[in-house]
Amino acid sequence: MSDAVVVDKVTKVFNQGRPDEVVALSDVDLVVPSGSLISLIGPSGCGKSTLLRLIGDLITPTSGTVSVAGKDADTARRQQEYGIAFQQAGLFEWRTVVRNVELPLELRGMSRADRRSRALEMLSLVGLSDFAGHYPAQLSGGMQQRVAIARALAVQPPLLLMDEPFGALDEMTRERLQSELLGICAKTGTSTVFVTHSISEAVFLSNRVVVMSPRPGRIVTAVDVDLPVRDDTVRQSEKYFEYVTAVRRALRGVPQKSPL
Amino acid sequence: MRRVLLVLAGIAIFAVLWEGYKLVGSPDGTVIFGVRVLPRADDLSMPHLWTIAERLGRPEIAGGRPVGLVVLQACAFTFGITAVGFVIGALVGLVLAVVMQRFRLAERGLLPYVILSQTVPLVALAPLVAGWSGNLSFGPYPWQDWMTVSLIAAYLAFFPVAVGMLRGLQSPAASGVELMRSYAAGWWRTLVKLRFPAALPYLFPALRLAGAAAVVGAVVGEISTGTRGGVGRLIIEYAREATSDPAKVYTAMLGAALLGLVVAGTVGLLEIPLMRHRRHVEVVTL
Repeated sequence: MSDAVVVDKVTKVFNQGRPDEVVALSDVDLVVPSGSLISLIGPSGCGKSTLLRLIGDLITPTSGTVSVAGKDADTARRQQEYGIAFQQAGLFEWRTVVRNVELPLELRGMSRADRRSRALEMLSLVGLSDFAGHYPAQLSGGMQQRVAIARALAVQPPLLLMDEPFGALDEMTRERLQSELLGICAKTGTSTVFVTHSISEAVFLSNRVVVMSPRPGRIVTAVDVDLPVRDDTVRQSEKYFEYVTAVRRALRGVPQKSPL
Repeated sequence: MRRVLLVLAGIAIFAVLWEGYKLVGSPDGTVIFGVRVLPRADDLSMPHLWTIAERLGRPEIAGGRPVGLVVLQACAFTFGITAVGFVIGALVGLVLAVVMQRFRLAERGLLPYVILSQTVPLVALAPLVAGWSGNLSFGPYPWQDWMTVSLIAAYLAFFPVAVGMLRGLQSPAASGVELMRSYAAGWWRTLVKLRFPAALPYLFPALRLAGAAAVVGAVVGEISTGTRGGVGRLIIEYAREATSDPAKVYTAMLGAALLGLVVAGTVGLLEIPLMRHRRHVEVVTL
């Protein structure tokens, strides 16, 4: 089985050749094995969102290649190989919840009955079956975010791209959604690239935490996380805290042994 | 029910102000340093409301039809002209907005002219349009006078739609546009599924403005091109009789106001089926 995402020596420069030129990413390599969840973490400006957008072909790399499911990123996007969720739910306020989830299916040309049943199935997955007929403005932020996740999952993509999807939520909702996300990914076998700036979130969710540093954005190190189970008790476990510490050290740029 | 009461209250307040001023105001108006700051309150300038109401029921000229009926008919005629002008203007405005959204160059090139178009005085423009269009014909159908008036109405109506709609089409957040891109949706599908629905809250106020502008365009257009049959013409005709029959001109103005209300109401009706999601606002928190 090929890897879900392969990023090979990618550099991204914005406004190249102009005075406001910014090197957002420099020589980045990343591999996301199928079925795994990879977190990108780093301070703001480290290019983690840029990397996610490159994988999604929302922007194109200045040099280097991105392949998704063995295809180039443009082809993968056209074939809807991935679903995406942003920090803002970004629901269409004029559509009911269920019709928001139907949107990607509609654009794929799925029949009305099929997309309705699929959308309802996705809504029950995120626990919002009762709100199918509501409008987004009637839902709380956490519920909207769950709708956005249902929408991202609707096409049953092999890959899920998430850009701080829980960033705007309160701690309790966030922890619940994290568990829900893990459940969904396990059930559907989806590979995930997850951008976050929360260390605990990254450790709890990921098989591997990729630590990035800014100016220019690059990958500093990666911490493999191997937790036996991922439920609320693991959040208190010693192993979990060890991983959190490891990621925190990497983020601070403190090597295990200081050279000075 | 409550709305009906509010409307009635509005009318009542207006009547009280009108008659109240007639009661206390000086018949010659109030003049300060040679400038009349308050209008004359005599029966010639401000007839009693009941005189106007009663005038509606009496014949236009001896043996003719009642004024009320004539005014209503004229309003219906002008309403038709306004409607045609409004539809043309709205369509032109929509197309312009879509073109300007699609091509940045078109926005920079067109928008100044769109704005410039509205600074040309209408009264100067109307005879020109009448002159140009005089020789036109659609196959066997010659150009009609009312078409000139509709064109003038359209000329005023397209502007708010073009500007409002452009703003609306540009309103979706970058995340929405990126989402559509992630679905491999092209420009057209992004327009239909995202930009157009997102523009509706901008479109409806623009349409209301366009409706009001079309009424003004039609009334002024009728007057300045001398088109017969509409309420604009009626205002001019009745105004000539203002010294002998002051209530009569007010009946025509009442008609023009009614026309404006009907147009605004009709445009408002368009909104109801399309803005359903705006009506539910109660937020569920779970």
